[in-house]
Amino acid sequence: MSEIALAADFAIIVVVATVIGLIARQTGQPTIIAYILTGIILGPVAFDIVTEEGLVELMGDLGFAFLLFLLGLKMRFEDIREILPAVTNVAFGQTVLQTALAFLVALALGFETDEILVISLATVFGATPIIVKILTDKDEITSLPGKIDVGVLIVQDIYLVIVLALFAADDLGGAGDIASTLGVILVMMSFIGIFSLLSSRYILPGLFRRIADNKDVFLIVAIGWAFLFVAIAEGADLDPKVGAFLAGISIAQLPYSKELEDRITPITDFFILVFFATIGLQIDGLSSLLAYWWQAIVASAVLMVGNFWIMFYLIDREGFDVETSFLGSINMVQVSEFSLIVGALAIDQGYIGPDVLGYLSLMALLTMSVSTYIIAYNHAIYERLEPWFARFESDERKDADISTYEGHAIAIGYDEITERALPRLEELYGEVVIIDRQTDHIEELEREGRYEYVFGDFRHTEVRKEANLKGADFVLSSSVEREVNEALLAEVGDDATVFVEAERIDDARTLYDRGATYVIMTSHLAAEKVSEYVELYVTDRDAFEETIARDVERVNAQRRRSADRLENGESVADTDYTPGGEAHD
Amino acid sequence: MTEELVIALAVVFVTAGVLSLIANQFGLSPIPFYIIAGLIAGRFVTESEIIVLAQWGIAFLVFAFAIRIDFADVETVLRDAELASATQLIVVAPIAFGVGYLFGDLFGFADPVRNAVYFSAAVVLSSSLVGGVLLGSEIRENLVHGRLASSIHFFDDLVAIALLLILSTEVVTADAIAAQIGYGVVLVISGLVLYRHGFPLLVRLADGDGELVLVGSISILIAFLAAAEYVGVSIVVGAFAAGVAIRSDGTQALEVQNGISSITDFFVAIFFVTVGALVAIPSLEVLVIAATLSALVLALNPLVHVLSFIYEGYDARTAFLAGSSLNQVSEFALIIAIQALLMGTIADPLFDAIILAAAVTMLLTFLGRRTEDVVYETVVARLFRGQRTRKVDERSSVDELEDHVLVVGYGRIGRRIVETLEDNDVPYVVLENDPVLWDELDAECRNYVLGDALAEYPWEKAQIGDAALVCSTVDHRPVSETILELETDADADVLLRSESAAVASDLLEAGATHVAVPNVLAGEQLLATVDALAAGETDPETLEREQRDYFQALERYGFATRDERV
Repeated sequence: MSEIALAADFAIIVVVATVIGLIARQTGQPTIIAYILTGIILGPVAFDIVTEEGLVELMGDLGFAFLLFLLGLKMRFEDIREILPAVTNVAFGQTVLQTALAFLVALALGFETDEILVISLATVFGATPIIVKILTDKDEITSLPGKIDVGVLIVQDIYLVIVLALFAADDLGGAGDIASTLGVILVMMSFIGIFSLLSSRYILPGLFRRIADNKDVFLIVAIGWAFLFVAIAEGADLDPKVGAFLAGISIAQLPYSKELEDRITPITDFFILVFFATIGLQIDGLSSLLAYWWQAIVASAVLMVGNFWIMFYLIDREGFDVETSFLGSINMVQVSEFSLIVGALAIDQGYIGPDVLGYLSLMALLTMSVSTYIIAYNHAIYERLEPWFARFESDERKDADISTYEGHAIAIGYDEITERALPRLEELYGEVVIIDRQTDHIEELEREGRYEYVFGDFRHTEVRKEANLKGADFVLSSSVEREVNEALLAEVGDDATVFVEAERIDDARTLYDRGATYVIMTSHLAAEKVSEYVELYVTDRDAFEETIARDVERVNAQRRRSADRLENGESVADTDYTPGGEAHD
Repeated sequence: MTEELVIALAVVFVTAGVLSLIANQFGLSPIPFYIIAGLIAGRFVTESEIIVLAQWGIAFLVFAFAIRIDFADVETVLRDAELASATQLIVVAPIAFGVGYLFGDLFGFADPVRNAVYFSAAVVLSSSLVGGVLLGSEIRENLVHGRLASSIHFFDDLVAIALLLILSTEVVTADAIAAQIGYGVVLVISGLVLYRHGFPLLVRLADGDGELVLVGSISILIAFLAAAEYVGVSIVVGAFAAGVAIRSDGTQALEVQNGISSITDFFVAIFFVTVGALVAIPSLEVLVIAATLSALVLALNPLVHVLSFIYEGYDARTAFLAGSSLNQVSEFALIIAIQALLMGTIADPLFDAIILAAAVTMLLTFLGRRTEDVVYETVVARLFRGQRTRKVDERSSVDELEDHVLVVGYGRIGRRIVETLEDNDVPYVVLENDPVLWDELDAECRNYVLGDALAEYPWEKAQIGDAALVCSTVDHRPVSETILELETDADADVLLRSESAAVASDLLEAGATHVAVPNVLAGEQLLATVDALAAGETDPETLEREQRDYFQALERYGFATRDERV
């Protein structure tokens, strides 16, 4: 067999990253730092045993593309529509002001004209992968500051694509060339964007409804969709990652995106590790890294502070409250690894020498490392500084609040077992959220419009988060899989009432041990009931007839409920069900 | 460079995506369609890096398989698969080897013996991935033939791994094979040691970070792959040992399993597409070999399986249904082939033929399924008619009965009913089709018939004409319908079981006296409990105590220990 494991550089990266990651975890450091460190250790700076070529580069690229696909998957228009104008304003202001700041800093530090231009263009960007990864890990990517940041980063990415295309274009003779290159890029991007939007409206809903029930096909088709966009973007000479992002957005508008997020996340985690390691691998060696070391430190400090205030001013001006503005800005203080890419291109074109790239790398490394901690502890930092920042507080604040469920009831699986209890649960707990991973059940719920629902497998973290399992007061699971119910019991709040189902007695005992309130055992119940029938049949035929007649009616009633529901949703459930606690009064 | 790779991957996934849409439309397994995607996309996917990614697909495929293995199940599998698989190895493997050798001789392959082994492996092994899709509903409904077939699949997979271990030697000598086996055993034992001590440590160090556990599991995989290569055994063995090391229980399990299954799906798609892409435009000899291979897989394989199942005491229908879901080339045969291709020990025409035959048989196995019932009724049922009555007579014990209760199925519910009937001293007979339960039936039941509830003779044997009540505990619509049909002549009351209220209503309309729907019953109990809790009539402690007492009572009567067979 060929030497796949040993020869593949990326295998070494994964193993070393795991070891460093575990050590980092013990000391409370973010894993990203461990991954970047892995790259530095394995790359030219230290041992020089791994090169960033072939598979490693491919996997790094895939990691980044998957991260943006994932990011796109989280972007539901309805969620960001209200903050969109604000975000656009912030992004434009930020780009202009930060370029100016970087320009001044570079000028003050005494670089040459060409170099200053490259540096100021290259240092504007926030490090999308770092911000997205840490905020996702912290579960803050869909919070308001998270959304503002992501919005700004997307505008930056578009700007980046333009800058990259300009640098890559071989000879930009004059303003005419620049304008025509820009025009082509913009037209291409709008075409892909429009295609993505149209497909999310007309092609995808029907397509994914058919396949969402089949786990494997669902994943492969979604990945195929992402790659289709990647290929289109590649064909149009655009950054393929933008394609992945747009593919994500087009799927995000469907009800199945949560489930998909959970399937894509592990693949992303796997590849993104390689990506972060390649950041470290790109650094050429100690000497060029340290050529401008003090300038880099000074510039990093000035830029981090300056960027924070620019962002804070801009976000605050849009009328968000102080905490949002603070968190939104402090997340964005770093210089992105894009500066290395822009720098590398600039070297190719002969605008700068390798030492300037070293300067850019050192700055990116410094700011990224520091900001990793800042983002990880952003709330703690805000708490410390809150009294001082309170002076920016003013009366009219328009924070869009992001609603989550609280004190609600969750039903896992929408079937004949759970459905009868739902109206009662709604009555007792106010809100019922159903988790189900069958498209026809979800459609039924959608038609009915009575209960909230989440499409997806309960095994997936993202799905549980969406339904806010931790905040639920009542959980009802009609899954008989023990792992699922154990995971449920481990995550749910201590005071919550939890009804679960089990197939075997041993499982039922374990579930009670882990805190279940009540364990339903369908087969034993049926055994009980049927043997009761048989007993009546052989002892008291009249009583048998009577019981049977009653139970047959129940079955028919259930069937009618299901059938009616299929035809015309909501009215039925209300009329058929006697409200109030009459059943036991 | 990277751009080309990205484009190549894009081609792989876009074609795979489009073709899996087709597979999904017809309810087929996507795997043969991935291979076809490879055949279509072949010219675009040539980079050696893609082949490396495909090998990661192999590693992950085996890794995920080994993680899922529950060693507690192995006993059941051996009980089910022992005889049939052994027959297969003794009868089919030599025949296939002979045919393979003939081909080698005819077309002048460099190493006819070795190629004959590859050919034979492709014939004997059947696919658990395809079978899993094929038998999905049967396995869920716990039907005997579903369980049988999946046991054989599992057994085949283990055989394949052993075979890969041996075949990864370049030169086959007794010493080399012994060394391979030694290394293999050492790897698996280290996997077990890691399972006990290493993996729990990893989980503890990761301290609740699921991503680190996932990456750590992949590192374990990589370490084992490296070890396997270092000592020169197949990476498949390394991946298997690594899978053994990963725990599939505990609170982290869900997340790690999800993660690995996503990554596996990703690489496995690349693997199957690449396999397809490696096939050249088939020549005449490739077609001849592929056709012969397919014929052997589609006809000889199931035939031998069916005969050995029947010999073991399964009824003809179960044997036929189980046998006919074992007629496809295994994904492990593809792994064996691609490994041989990389070692340069397989003749190109044979490689192409195995891949083509895999795609063809995987597709035909689904199509065959559609016509299964017809084939059974018109061919198999007639062939085995005499045998069927004799077998049922041999393995049943029934007295003269009148006004008795006929209980169909001896699972959890069946046992409860028998208990009730014995307490009330009412004559009864149990009808069951799983020969595994025969000992128990013989010991516990006064009257029983071991036979197929869809055939007529067992009913005759159970004297349905004189029965007062037929009580079926089997939730399988064809069985319920057969009972209702028979009942019109017999004039007995009929109690049935069904999974959904809709089916139950249909059955009631068709003349059932009553249909028990466990889900409806559970729903009612649930509602009552919620109400009682809300009204303060009971509290969680009482509920739990009552339930625990109930479990104890069940266990005392011996209803719990046999649970797993229901």
